[in-house]
Amino acid sequence: MKQKQKAAVPAAPPGALLSLGSKQWKHFKENYPFLIMLLPAVAVVFLFNYLPIYGVLIAFQDFMPGDKIFSDTTIWVGFHNFTRFFTDVQFWPLMKNTFLLCILGFVIGFPLPIIISLMLNALAGERTKKFLQTIFTAPHFISLVVLVGMLQLFFGRYGLVNNVFANIGGERFSYFLESSAFRPLYILSSNWQDFGWSAIIYIAALANVDPGQHEAAILDGASRFQRVLHIDIPAIMPMISVMLIMSIGGLMGVGYEKALLMQTDGNLPVSELIATYVYKKGLTGVPDQAYATAIGLFNSIINVVLLIIANTTSKKFSENSLW
Amino acid sequence: MATLSLKNIQKIYPHSGGQKKPKKKTGEPEKKSNLQITDQGVIAVQSFNLEIADKEFIVLVGPSGCGKSTTLRMVAGLEEISAGELYIDGNLVNDVEPKNRDIAMVFQSYALYPHMTVYENMAFPLKLHKMPKDEIDRRVKEAAAILDITQYLDRKPKALSGGQRQRVAIGRAIVREPKVLLMDEPLSNLDAKLRNQMRAEIIKLRQKINTTFIYVTHDQTEAMTLGDRIVIMKDGFIQQIGTPQEVFDHPANLFVAGFIGMPQMNFFSAKLLAEDGRYAVSVGGCKVALSEEKQKNLAAHKAASQEITLGVRPSHMVLSKQAGNTLTATVEVSELMGSEVHFHANADGKDIVVIVPTMDANGQRIDSFHHGDALNLTFSGNVCHVFGQDGRNLEF
Amino acid sequence: MQKVSKMAGQKTISGDLVFRIVNGALLGLVALIVLYPLYFVIIASISSPEAVLAGKVVLYPVDINFDGFQKILERADIWRGYLNTIIYTALTVILSLLVTVPAGWALSRKTLPGKKFWMIFFIIPMFFGGGLIPFYNVMSSLKLVNTMWAVILPSILSVWNLFMTKTFFETSIPDGLIEAAKIDGAGQFRVFTSVVLPLSKAIMAVMALYYAVGQWNSYFNAMIFLQDETLYPLQLVLKEILIASESTVGGSGETILEQFRLANQLKYVSVIVSSLPVLCLYPFVQKYFAQGVMIGSLKE
Repeated sequence: MKQKQKAAVPAAPPGALLSLGSKQWKHFKENYPFLIMLLPAVAVVFLFNYLPIYGVLIAFQDFMPGDKIFSDTTIWVGFHNFTRFFTDVQFWPLMKNTFLLCILGFVIGFPLPIIISLMLNALAGERTKKFLQTIFTAPHFISLVVLVGMLQLFFGRYGLVNNVFANIGGERFSYFLESSAFRPLYILSSNWQDFGWSAIIYIAALANVDPGQHEAAILDGASRFQRVLHIDIPAIMPMISVMLIMSIGGLMGVGYEKALLMQTDGNLPVSELIATYVYKKGLTGVPDQAYATAIGLFNSIINVVLLIIANTTSKKFSENSLW
Repeated sequence: MATLSLKNIQKIYPHSGGQKKPKKKTGEPEKKSNLQITDQGVIAVQSFNLEIADKEFIVLVGPSGCGKSTTLRMVAGLEEISAGELYIDGNLVNDVEPKNRDIAMVFQSYALYPHMTVYENMAFPLKLHKMPKDEIDRRVKEAAAILDITQYLDRKPKALSGGQRQRVAIGRAIVREPKVLLMDEPLSNLDAKLRNQMRAEIIKLRQKINTTFIYVTHDQTEAMTLGDRIVIMKDGFIQQIGTPQEVFDHPANLFVAGFIGMPQMNFFSAKLLAEDGRYAVSVGGCKVALSEEKQKNLAAHKAASQEITLGVRPSHMVLSKQAGNTLTATVEVSELMGSEVHFHANADGKDIVVIVPTMDANGQRIDSFHHGDALNLTFSGNVCHVFGQDGRNLEF
Repeated sequence: MQKVSKMAGQKTISGDLVFRIVNGALLGLVALIVLYPLYFVIIASISSPEAVLAGKVVLYPVDINFDGFQKILERADIWRGYLNTIIYTALTVILSLLVTVPAGWALSRKTLPGKKFWMIFFIIPMFFGGGLIPFYNVMSSLKLVNTMWAVILPSILSVWNLFMTKTFFETSIPDGLIEAAKIDGAGQFRVFTSVVLPLSKAIMAVMALYYAVGQWNSYFNAMIFLQDETLYPLQLVLKEILIASESTVGGSGETILEQFRLANQLKYVSVIVSSLPVLCLYPFVQKYFAQGVMIGSLKE
């Protein structure tokens, strides 16, 4: 009907005639430049994120390096590689190592930045605050290689700690060769490196708290500590929930690059994680790529499941969720 | 420079997925406007018909959410027109991109490019239209001279005051010498004093440049002082179109009557009496015969005796010395404004405002009234506005 | 009544004082824990290796000498690694900005055709990936293994950074500005180059820094993809120097100690030399990093 009306207009300009096509076409014509701007990013993500996702199909194959993913000779083995992993003698130790390292790391690493940010926020001087924050954040910029190198310089057989002990007549102890020292070293060094960085987000949230709230509380007779409890912590609570969901989702994606650097024959019983095992099985020695891919896929799936559980739980009990 | 013709323009915002539904469920009392909602979406503007003459200054006015800005943005091409036709100089431009419509716009937020100087801001649209450099220079300088911002040409917007930014925004629009100049609440970010000043400037500007203006505002004073014609809108519908005098003297309905004029028109529950073909209104023991003009209009519509809402503007109420055929009101607050006094009073169960001069023409002071005092009010038959139960002016 | 409130006031003041002192002291302690390892690396690098090994270097340098720094100047592999890292980092930053900023702008626009689809397209990789082996195989079938592009190309787009950029555009570029440009006659590309880009210096700085630090500090991709030692980035060279597997150093005796003494100082020096650029730059760009974290934290 609208079209009829248009046709009835005697001297319709050429522009109107051209655009008699669908509204979608006009919309597209106006906005296609956005697609061109998006294209490079799409290409990169497609190549380096989606092609590998497609590549996980080899987890279900009897795959030799160099094979095509689909060919006449492809041998599909179903979940064989997964059952192999579940019955691998390494399976339970790997699960335990990965989970334990993550959970211990989380138990210390999650509250620490929150506590530090609350403490920093309670500090009086604005300049001291900034200065301390700068110091606390600095280790974040040290590379993993250097960090692990420094750990060796401090805790190695001839590192600072041993040198000082030896100096006062103690016995040298090879922290790096001992299973018992791996987790503490790993977790403490991670926290040393990142607590300041993780605190930034909370510090910024705290800085946005209306000073009027604090002033009102002071007039009401609240002590500084009470104000931390009743003003500061509620103010960062939404942020805490979101971070909690995120870290639970990333629980199994623990920094295997660092674990790999810290591994020695001595601490391997606790330092071998699912991800480092994937690396070793798939890329070193005689590679068993299908098997390694299956293990990696298993790991990613656990992660996604954890994330979904965390998000649903959070949604149920509070208003905060990722989606 | 151009005539515009808006034919049955409509704007529908499609329902945005599930976002609105949960809100309804919780039954939040967030009912900003009474926009019509259909299956297709929320209708922000409908049946908008308007013919704009060349060089006319049209003001769209109404409360927030009435669809005035949406209409303007449809003319600009920033919003798609859901239905209806928009012609500029006889050409259908529904599907023409903004840059090809030969329009310019001044935004409420000024929307100056922060990284460009005033000069560059004003030259930008001309550059985009591939104008030769010396022509750009000439036009920018000319516009700057008109707006008195020549000395700021090298500054960035950040270094300007609100009023100066406003001038630059206007400058950027007029250098184009557009067919139509659109202004979206250009003065609402300014303080009261600057606003008055800029209002005068816009009137002057209008005399200097020859173009068609469409101006959106929520401020009825701006609308009254600037517009050749005013389009009053509410809930997506046009309420009345007319010159400032017309809409002031003959408001089409209760909404327009209440919206135009400061302080607001007083409303009373009253009766329209039709006796022997003569019309009169009766309110609280006071009966007033209507003027000849109103008699004729009402007769033409065959108005019968009925319950009505009677509207009388505060300055049209007259203090009477004695009671008798008067309306009695009790003063609640009296505000002395210098040459006049505003009485906030209660009459016949309604809050009303009465404006009376502090002195009459003979220099006689009017006795001051205080809280609780009684006022005897009358009004003449030609300042009454008679609205039926549906809110429409019975004269229309 | 008045008395009570006065007393309460006094009590909170003295309570606050204790709180303040404890809080300040604890934070001071934390600062020491953070700084001491860095400080120790510096003093150990300029002390004699013997003194370090004897545990004499704890609070201040002993027998100051700069042999370590001299030795590192002779290490061609470190400087080659340095150069490689600079090249990789520079290329990563340039390419990543070219990819991330336009895409971030496009994603921030409501009128992007197929916006929902693209959002999902980019969100999925944030939470799910093919894993290491398929990734390696893709790189190998793209013939990137043992080229510098294996280190650069996978790093030029982080989806996190992309969404951060998108959020920046959504929150920092007023719609009115874009509409004004449209009415002034600019097309989508022109809007992007003439209006958006000049206004996004802050986000470009943040992105450049994020990508640069990420590339500067990474070793893993280089380790798995590069075999040619002349392509090694600095971190991979450092790994060879710093993380000599202790388990291979079996047995005991003077030879190990001697070997250690020689290598020891070089380790401290190489830590300093490799981390110095980033750590020196960091205080100046700190506010940008912090800004980035904040932008990233804004919920869509």
